[in-house]
Amino acid sequence: MTGRARARGRPPRQGSALPAVGDAPPQQPQQLQQLQQPQQLQQLHVPPPQSEEPGGQGRLRGFESVLQERRPEGLQVSSGLQDLSLRDRGGRRRDFHDLGVNTRQAMVHVQESKTGFSGRMVKLTTNHFRLTSRPQWALYQYHVGYSPEMEARRLRSALLFQHEEHIGKTHAFDGSILFLPKKLESKVTELFSRTRNGEDVKITVTLTNELPPTSPTCLQFYNIIFRRLLKMLNLQQIGRNYYNPSDPVSIPNHRLMVWLGFTSSILQYEENIMLCADVSHKVLRGETVLDTMHSLHSQVGEERFRDICAKELIGLIVLTRYNNRTYRIDDIDWDNNPKGTFRKSDGSEMSFVEYYKKQYNIEISDWMQPVLISQMKRKRGNIQGSVALIPELCSLTGLTDKMRNDFNMMKDLAIHTRLPPEQRQREIGRLLSYIQKDDNVQKELRNWGLSFDYKSVSFTGRVVQGEKIFQSGNMFDYNPQFADWTKETRGVPLIRAVPVDSWLLIYTRRNYDVANTLLQSLFKVTPSMGIRMNKPNMIEVDDRTEAYLRVLQQRVTPDTNIVFCILSSSRKDKYDAIKKYLCTDCPIPSQCVLARTLSKPQTIMTVATKIALQMNCKMGGELWSVEIPLKQVMIVGIDCYHDTVSGKQSIAGFVASLNQTVTRWFSRCVVQSRGQELVDGIKACLQTALRNWSKWNKCLPSRIFVYRDGVGDGQLNTLVNYEVPQFLDCLKSIGTDYSPRLTVIVVKKRVGARFFAEIGGGLKNPPPGTVVDTVVTRPEWYDFFIVSQTVKNGCVAPTHYNVIYDTSQLKPDHVQRLTYKLCHMYYNWSGIIRVPAPCQYAHKLAFLVGQSIHREPNLMLSDRLYYL
Amino acid sequence: MDKNFQEKFTQITKFKPPLYKQRHQFVKDLVEKYKPKKVADLGCADCRLLWMLKFCSCIEVLAGLDICANVMKEKMHTLSPLPVDYLQPSERSLTITLHHGSVAHKDPCMLGFDLVTCIELIEHLEEPDLKKFPEVVFGFMAPSIVVISTPNSEFNPLLPGVMLYRHPDHKFEWNQAQFQSWALETARCYDYSVEFTGVGHPPTGMEKAGFCTQIGVFIRKYPQTGESVQSEKPTEAVYKTVFKAVYPSLKDEKYLQNAVISEVIFTAQIIKHRLMSKHEEYGNDPERKSKFQPSMDCFSDYLGNLVVEKNMEPFLSGNEVYIPLATIFSFPKVNRLCGTFEKLCKLIAGKVTLSSDGSAVMFSIECENEDD
Repeated sequence: MTGRARARGRPPRQGSALPAVGDAPPQQPQQLQQLQQPQQLQQLHVPPPQSEEPGGQGRLRGFESVLQERRPEGLQVSSGLQDLSLRDRGGRRRDFHDLGVNTRQAMVHVQESKTGFSGRMVKLTTNHFRLTSRPQWALYQYHVGYSPEMEARRLRSALLFQHEEHIGKTHAFDGSILFLPKKLESKVTELFSRTRNGEDVKITVTLTNELPPTSPTCLQFYNIIFRRLLKMLNLQQIGRNYYNPSDPVSIPNHRLMVWLGFTSSILQYEENIMLCADVSHKVLRGETVLDTMHSLHSQVGEERFRDICAKELIGLIVLTRYNNRTYRIDDIDWDNNPKGTFRKSDGSEMSFVEYYKKQYNIEISDWMQPVLISQMKRKRGNIQGSVALIPELCSLTGLTDKMRNDFNMMKDLAIHTRLPPEQRQREIGRLLSYIQKDDNVQKELRNWGLSFDYKSVSFTGRVVQGEKIFQSGNMFDYNPQFADWTKETRGVPLIRAVPVDSWLLIYTRRNYDVANTLLQSLFKVTPSMGIRMNKPNMIEVDDRTEAYLRVLQQRVTPDTNIVFCILSSSRKDKYDAIKKYLCTDCPIPSQCVLARTLSKPQTIMTVATKIALQMNCKMGGELWSVEIPLKQVMIVGIDCYHDTVSGKQSIAGFVASLNQTVTRWFSRCVVQSRGQELVDGIKACLQTALRNWSKWNKCLPSRIFVYRDGVGDGQLNTLVNYEVPQFLDCLKSIGTDYSPRLTVIVVKKRVGARFFAEIGGGLKNPPPGTVVDTVVTRPEWYDFFIVSQTVKNGCVAPTHYNVIYDTSQLKPDHVQRLTYKLCHMYYNWSGIIRVPAPCQYAHKLAFLVGQSIHREPNLMLSDRLYYL
Repeated sequence: MDKNFQEKFTQITKFKPPLYKQRHQFVKDLVEKYKPKKVADLGCADCRLLWMLKFCSCIEVLAGLDICANVMKEKMHTLSPLPVDYLQPSERSLTITLHHGSVAHKDPCMLGFDLVTCIELIEHLEEPDLKKFPEVVFGFMAPSIVVISTPNSEFNPLLPGVMLYRHPDHKFEWNQAQFQSWALETARCYDYSVEFTGVGHPPTGMEKAGFCTQIGVFIRKYPQTGESVQSEKPTEAVYKTVFKAVYPSLKDEKYLQNAVISEVIFTAQIIKHRLMSKHEEYGNDPERKSKFQPSMDCFSDYLGNLVVEKNMEPFLSGNEVYIPLATIFSFPKVNRLCGTFEKLCKLIAGKVTLSSDGSAVMFSIECENEDD
C-alpha cells in the first residue's frame, strides 16, 4: 500500500449535521434488510422471550415494567441500532455501551432481585444525572423514499428540508431515516420537490416506528443529541470525548498540555435513563511528531534511531494541523518523504509538498522527513487502505509508555489530573451549568422535549465487612481505611515458605557492594518468614546482554531454585533476554532488580522484604489466605494484552486456582496473531486447568468462577455468544456426567461511574468494600460495582462486575463477597487491589509474555507465580 | 443555496477541476496576489470558500454573509479553530465571523474590508435587491477590491440539461454584454475600475460564447477612506452574528507567554540534560557511553559553539543547575518568539524559577528516580 492521502482531499467532516453520515451509501433501504439478518442471528443466542412478539412494531408503551417493555424493543433493534447509521463521527458502528445484550433474562435466580444485603449502609452520590422528558414522550421514526431515486445525501436532505413547514424545524436525518419529535398527521406523507435541474421528485415519508424513550435507538439518539450540545458549547472533539480548549493547563517541564473535558453517556439504568458525566483529561503535546523525532535522534543517535522511533511513535494518536481528525500511527515509511507523490481521487499524481501548499497553504519545511502511515480501520465510502501523514503537520496526543514510566512526569501530571472527590464533582457540575445556562442548548433540548435533572443522583450503598487475613495459624484484621496489611503481617511465618537451597546472584562489578548489601538484608528478613536461605552462587558479569546469557547457560543447573539478577539500567533488551531464556528454554524462576532500587540504605530492609516475598511466590510459595467458604471451587482469571508496537500479537493470560484455599495458581497463555480468535486457545487452557485441578484435588471442581478482564467496549456480545458457549463445550468434553456450576463475570476497570461517600458534610472516596448494586446498574444485566482499593489522591474508580452467565445458584450477596475476597489475594501487594487477584495475575502474565517473551512460556513453570 | 452542487453533477465531465473549484481557486489566486488582510464573502453559503481562505496566511479577518442562516450553520464548525491551533498558536491573528443578513442592507460590521467577493451571488437577487446592491457594496462597504462572478447565459446552450436557467433560484442570467454594461456602469458610478475575465473555457470553435462563469474584478480608484469618513456612515447593526471564532495567536500576550515559558523551560531542560549526562559519563555506563557517538543532532553542535563564550556556560552549584538566560535566548526558537532579551525577561518573570540575580534559569537536581 503506497501512501495515499485521499482522505485529506475533503474538507474536515465534522459538520453539525446530526447523523454525520457523510458517506452513507445511497441504497439505504436495501441495506436495512441485509443488515437485519446478523442482528437476528445474534438474538438467537439470547433465550427467546416468553411470549411471541408482534412483528417488530414496538408500540408497547406505558404500563408494563421496564424490563418487559425493553424486550420487544430488543428484537426490533435491528432496524434501529445496527443499520440505522445514526452514526457517530468516524462512522463507527460499534455499540460502545453494549446495548441490547440482555443477559439477565436467562438467569432465573436474579429475575426478582440482584441485590446483596450484607454490610453497613453508606450514603453515596454519583456522577449520574436523571434525564427527564415530557410525559408521553416518543421519538417518531420515518423512512424517507425518493422517486426518482436521489443518490446524494445532501441533495436528499435539501429536497426534504424544503418542506420544513410540514416536518418542523427540529429533525434529525441521515439521508434515509428521519427522526422527529412530533407525529405527522398521516402515516404516509407525500411531498413534492423540484431539483435544480427542474426535475420533479416525489418524497414519501412513512412512519416506521414510534420509539418509547427506553428503546436502544432512542438511547443512541439521546447520546447524539448530547454530543450536539457539547459542540454547541464550543468544546472540541478529540476522539470520543469533548474538551475545552480555552483554558488549558500547560506543563512546560515536559512540554505537555492538559485539556479538561468531559465524557458523557446516556443510558437506561435500573430505574431511569441517566446521563453519566465524568471529567476527562486530554494530554496533548506542544510539539509535532517531527520535533519528537529530532529529540529522539539527539538522545539515541543514528544507529538506533529508527527502531526507537518505531517503538516510541507507533500506536500513538496524532492530530493534524489541517483537519479535525485523529489518526493512529501504524507505521513509518522511511523510504518516503514529502516530495513523494500520491494518487488523488481524480487519478492524478501529486506530491505531498504540492498538495499541502495548494490545499491548505502549508509550506512543509523539512523535505527529508519520513512519512507516517495510518491504516483506515473502516471502509469509508470508496476510501480504504492507508493514509500518509507528514510528521511536521502532526501533533501527538496522549502518553507513551515511556512517559508513563517517568515518575516525575506522572507526578507533575497527577497534580492536574487527579482531582479529589469534591473538586471532581465541582467540575462535573460546571458542565451541567454550561448546559443549563446556554440558551441555544436549552432551545435544542426543548425542541426535542428533553431536560436534565441538574442535581446528581444520591442513593445508599453497602460497605461489606473487612476480611480476616490468615497466615500460618495467625489471623489479622487490617485497618479498613488503608486496605493494607504490610505492617500487621511483618515478621510472621508464611503459609508455605520454599527453601532457597541453590540459587544464583548475578551482578556487574560496579554493583558488587549493592549485591552484598542485598544479601545481608535478605538473610536478616527471611528467617522470620520461615524461609531457609543458603548462600547463593555469586557471579560477576560484564554489563552486556550476552554476558548475562552466557552465565545463565553455563551456571544454571536443574537444582537451581531461582536466579537473581541485579541490573544496572532499566534497558529493556537485557531484561527481555534474561526472562525469555529463563521462561522458555531453561524454565527456572528469576528475579530481576535494578541496582538503583537497592542503593538506598534507608529503604533496603523494606525492599528486601518485598523481594523475599516475591521470590517465594515465584518458587511456588504461599503467603496468606482469606476464608473461602465454597468447597471444590476453581477460580479462573483471564486478561488480554495487545501488542501496540508490532501490532501483530494479542496475548491472553489465563490463570486458574489449584487448591481449596485459592493460594496456588496454574497458568497458561495464548499467543494470537492478528485476526485470529482468542477463544479456541482459552478453551484449551480451561481443559488443562481442569486436568491440573483434578490432579491436585483428586476430583473435578464442582464450581467454576471465571473472572474475565480485558473485554473492550462493545465486545460483550461476542463474549456472550462465542466465549461462554466455548467454556460450556469444554466442560461437556470432560465427561457426560460432569456438569459443574459455572459463573462467568466480566470485570471492567474503565468505567465512567464514580461514587462519592457523603461523610461529615463533605464528599470523600467511598471506603474499600463499598458495593453498589442498585440505581446505577443496568436492568438487563446481573451487575454490580465494588470499590475495593484505596487511593492516596484523586478519586477512587469503582470496578464493574457483570455476571453474564451463572448456574451457581448463589445469592448475589455471595457472588459479591467472593469477588471482594479475591481482591485480597494478590501476593505482590499486601493489601486489597482493584480487581480479583486472578485477573491481576493473568494481566501480569500476559504483560510479561507480550512485552518480553512473545511465546508461551514453558509449562514446567505453570504451577508457580513466576510472572510476578 | 447550493450553487456548487448541481454544476458538479451536470458538468463534471466538462470541467476539470469542477467549475466551483476553479472559481474558488480564482479568488485564492487573487488573495495571493493582493494579500488582503480583511476579506468578506457575500453569499458565503456552505462556507466552503471561507474555509479555503482561512489557510491563507495574509488574512486576519474573514467574514461571511448569507441570507440563509441554516445553510451557513450546517458547515460553520469547519471554521472553528482546530486543537492544533491551540497547541501551536500561529503568528498571525485570525477572526472569522458569520453574519445572517441581506446584501441589500448596510451594516457597519462590513466596513473596512480589503477584498469583498460575491461568487455566484447577484443572479439570486430579486430586482429591488439588485438595485440596492451596488450602493451597499461599492458605496458603503467600499473595499479596495470587489470580485463578482455570475453565469454567462451565452454558454448555456453548451450545458446539457439547462432549460432556462442553471438553477431554479436564479432570477436572471446575463450574457456577456449585459454583465459588462452593468459592471462598467457600477464601476463608473462608484469610482472603480473593472476588468473582465472568467473560468470555464468554451470548447474550441465556440470561443465566442465566452467563459462559462464570467467574472468582474473591480479595483477602487480612490485611496483608502480614513476613519473620519467611516464615522459618518450609519452605525445601526442589522445583521445577526451566527458564528464567531477567534483563533489563538501569538499576538495575544496570553498565548505568547505560554509559548515562551514552555520553550524556555524545555530548552533549559535539554541543556541541563546534556550537562548532567556529561557529568555522569565519567566511568558510568560503558554500554551507553560506547553507543553515544557524536550525533548529527543540532543541539549538541549548537551548544558546542556557544560554550566559547564564558558567561553563557551552564554550571552546577551544589544541588542546583544554572542555565543562563542569555544561552537560552540564543536558541533560535526562543529568539524568534521574544525578539528582544528584555521581552524574554518580562514574559517569564514570576513564571520560571530564576537565580537570585535573575540571569539564569535554576533547577534543583532532586532525586529523580524513585522506586518503580
